[in-house]
Amino acid sequence: MNVDIQSLGTFNQLAHEGAQQATQSMAQMTGIDASVDVTKITLVDREDVGEALVGQDFVGVQFDFEGVLEGDTVLAFDTDSADTMVDALIPGGSDDEAMARSGVEEVGNIMMSGFIDGWADYLEAAIEHSPPTYIEKSGREVLPETRHPDDHEQVFVFKSEIEWVGESVNFYIYMLPEYEAFAEVMTEHADTEGDAIPIDKLHTFNEMTTSGTQKAADNVEMMTGIPTEAEVSQISFAPITDVPKQIGTDTYVGTVVEFTGVPSGYLLVLFDEVSAINVAEAMMPIEMDGDELTDQHESAIEELGNIMTSGFVDGWANVLQTSVDHSPPRLVHDMGRSIMDPLAAQVGQHQEHAFIIDSRMKTDDIEFEAEIHALPNEQELRRALEDLDVERADETDADVEQIFE
Amino acid sequence: MKVYDGTQSTDDDQGTEPERIKVGIAEYKTTTDDAVLTTSGLGSCIGVGIYDDVSGAAGLVHVMLPTAEDIDDGNRAKFADTGVEALVEALEDAGASRASMRAKMAGGSDMLDFSESGSSIGARNAKQVRATLEEFDIPLVGEDVGGDHGRSLKLDAGTGDLVVKSANTESTTL
Repeated sequence: MNVDIQSLGTFNQLAHEGAQQATQSMAQMTGIDASVDVTKITLVDREDVGEALVGQDFVGVQFDFEGVLEGDTVLAFDTDSADTMVDALIPGGSDDEAMARSGVEEVGNIMMSGFIDGWADYLEAAIEHSPPTYIEKSGREVLPETRHPDDHEQVFVFKSEIEWVGESVNFYIYMLPEYEAFAEVMTEHADTEGDAIPIDKLHTFNEMTTSGTQKAADNVEMMTGIPTEAEVSQISFAPITDVPKQIGTDTYVGTVVEFTGVPSGYLLVLFDEVSAINVAEAMMPIEMDGDELTDQHESAIEELGNIMTSGFVDGWANVLQTSVDHSPPRLVHDMGRSIMDPLAAQVGQHQEHAFIIDSRMKTDDIEFEAEIHALPNEQELRRALEDLDVERADETDADVEQIFE
Repeated sequence: MKVYDGTQSTDDDQGTEPERIKVGIAEYKTTTDDAVLTTSGLGSCIGVGIYDDVSGAAGLVHVMLPTAEDIDDGNRAKFADTGVEALVEALEDAGASRASMRAKMAGGSDMLDFSESGSSIGARNAKQVRATLEEFDIPLVGEDVGGDHGRSLKLDAGTGDLVVKSANTESTTL
């Protein structure tokens, strides 16, 4: 099954417009000014969906849909924004539990009907949805339960993040179509002669990323003695102007390289400041005074970034059976978005959309988390995927260990 | 809380902070109130603020690439040439006059420029903004461009002050 870049772009746009329409319905009902910040389509392991939600409590509505597309969708407000919204709808409403609940249900229902109708219109086919179910849960539990609990499956997820103007709260729309039906719809809309990407190979690509990340994590462990695990690997697709938003506005420390070969692109290894200090000190022979990030910390990060990059890139090159070279690392210490911005601009000179590969590693021993992001050239990624033959992809699936030794 | 039509404030806002209007990447916004327009995460991107003291209109655009000639996807605010043009037109629609417009810009950093030949995207962005402003005869009265760090901006529509903030330095006002 192939899916072309144009249709990925179209589906992403569709989800974005649906989220915008839903947000406007809410704005009209409540007078709250909100706007859709990011919409992206991601291929990710089902278990890893909803990482952004961890650690918060949510209320919202959930429903399933069927027809040309099947699946589940959820609209989740964190509890503070739900209160604000209900109070805007019915002054003082958030104090009355029943009223708060029906307010969320009402707004949720209207928002989500708009969202689904947009899809049905575009596909020129019927999509029916169930009545909304009110939910009140924390973290990832707010997402619908997987329909295939025993499978270790990768799924497409549409996620829109909606920002409330002037408030620090956000809410989310997740849409999780059933893989088969969605893949079929995408295939039907694909121009297989043109710039199509075989979607099954995107799975392999995710596995490659996981393995590359594990290799990078092993290198961290080797240098610091801290056991480090690869966590989430995903590949997302978004308009180039949304790429910098994939990283937060916090300050990060890390390294960036340009890699060349097929595909070429940019690779970022980023640590939040606390993680950077912790991991750098684990590499240093002496105790540091104070808790500031110093030049010594930065040079330790540079060294670590370099060795993590090598591990990651070697992992890719092994599976793709090509050589992937990279430039010496450049140390960065800046706001996350500003770091991604020039890279997106460079890629954006030739393409309107971009694939973004994200992975994460973590350790339980100290407060430490690292993110790896890759921004490959789209056409070259497509070529690399074309060259990745399916048999070899199967091998990778069966025995990743062997390939990444 | 804001009233959705954006033209008036509710009681809560009286005497408190001015309205904040966020401008995303490849977007422009204008205001005729004394609002504060903000944009963040400028690397090689450039934020261009244009204001007109006479009419009280002000606007901010966050452009990503120099010119729409290379890849035109219909979003004018993505490019320095068409972005400035779109902002000027929107300000004129809001009652501003080109003759009394003043511009300030910040961003266009050379950070993470891997190109081995030619000038960086940041430098090309800045050059294009200057050229387009010149075409429109709008004086550029303040700028903070280049360097190797990111920036975030706040344009005070009431005064025309453009506050530039970086992750590792004190903020400056243009």
